[in-house]
Amino acid sequence: MKIKLNGKEREAMPGESILELCKRENVPIPTFCYHQAFGGQGACRMCMVEVREEGQKEARLAAACTYLLNREAEVITESDRIQRIRRTIVMLLKRRAAGDPILKELADAYAAPDLEAVVTEPENCILCGLCIHACEEMGKSAIWSMFRGIDKRIATPYDEASDDCIGCAACARICPTHAISMEEKDSKRIIWNKSFELVACRRCGKEYATREEIEYLKERSDYGQENLCESCRKKTLAITVKNYI
Amino acid sequence: MSKVLFVEPEKCTGCRSCELICSFTHAGEFNPLKSRISIVAFEKTGFSFPAVCQQCSVAACMEVCPVKAISVDPETGAKIVNHNICLRCKMCTIACPFGATFYDADQDVIMKCDLCGGDPECVKYCPTAAISYREAKIANFSKRRETAEKFREVMEEGR
Repeated sequence: MKIKLNGKEREAMPGESILELCKRENVPIPTFCYHQAFGGQGACRMCMVEVREEGQKEARLAAACTYLLNREAEVITESDRIQRIRRTIVMLLKRRAAGDPILKELADAYAAPDLEAVVTEPENCILCGLCIHACEEMGKSAIWSMFRGIDKRIATPYDEASDDCIGCAACARICPTHAISMEEKDSKRIIWNKSFELVACRRCGKEYATREEIEYLKERSDYGQENLCESCRKKTLAITVKNYI
Repeated sequence: MSKVLFVEPEKCTGCRSCELICSFTHAGEFNPLKSRISIVAFEKTGFSFPAVCQQCSVAACMEVCPVKAISVDPETGAKIVNHNICLRCKMCTIACPFGATFYDADQDVIMKCDLCGGDPECVKYCPTAAISYREAKIANFSKRRETAEKFREVMEEGR
């Protein structure tokens, strides 16, 4: 299927999103809520492009991550119209995540006007939903979007320590604006209002995982039950070989 | 049959050249903390062991990954992490029995040996050929299988 991408003819697979095509062709498009593990969500709207499908008179704006290509089309990723819409989006996102360096950089790049910052909970959250998806993929769904409209935010039910959360912190690492805080001190990992006991390696004492993470693996596999940190697992292998050759 | 990284610890002098070239190849710096291979050294007895991913046929890292971010390279048989899919939940680092998968907080990536796409740098820089890249023949493996059996016993003691 032929797609005219910024004036150049490119081949797209039917059902492929514009963003996937652009990534393959190394055409840069800014994104926040896109992750290859989940596909497009169309939540942050950063990836807006202009599309004109066969038979359509005028190009229209669409989110590249959720727009699936099924017919020959013309796609433009940079234009005055796109610049304007991205500027507005950056302005609004930066309002929620004023402390995030990436948004500051984008605000400069798109010359987005400054709006009075809104303090979100957690701070700097743009509601992209990646953390929810990550937790869902872990099979846990400990966090979700709570409330609606301007009150909408990501939280555990009633902001209480969730029985489902295993403290893996995949949510914190996937967050594009680093909004989710994770703290480790005094043999505890604290995330989402829950304090996790860290398991110490039985050889060297290094704390390497939460009790819940090890339980999680136990439920799903036969691995990770030795109570050894990575270095000591290596060492155990080395000692076995040493004693045996 | 595909090739494997074959380690002969009796030849290893513990010079750590493999760690340096590995981190340089993958992370662009000479930093043993960013090496996918690491030397476990026993100073008193002078025994050194290059510990590296075994590219297990039934791989713990692959099995526990919730998003199937680890796949088998069809050419080399290496278990490769797709960093675009990886959630960094670190389950693979807890599951790997050999401690060969680990997390680098600095670059926010899971690190594991990828056999350098079929041309392992550590093999080229090992001065004593303690690491070689060779065909996985049964003859090369009888000793290894026995060691693996012992290793399994040792690991299960700790459960």
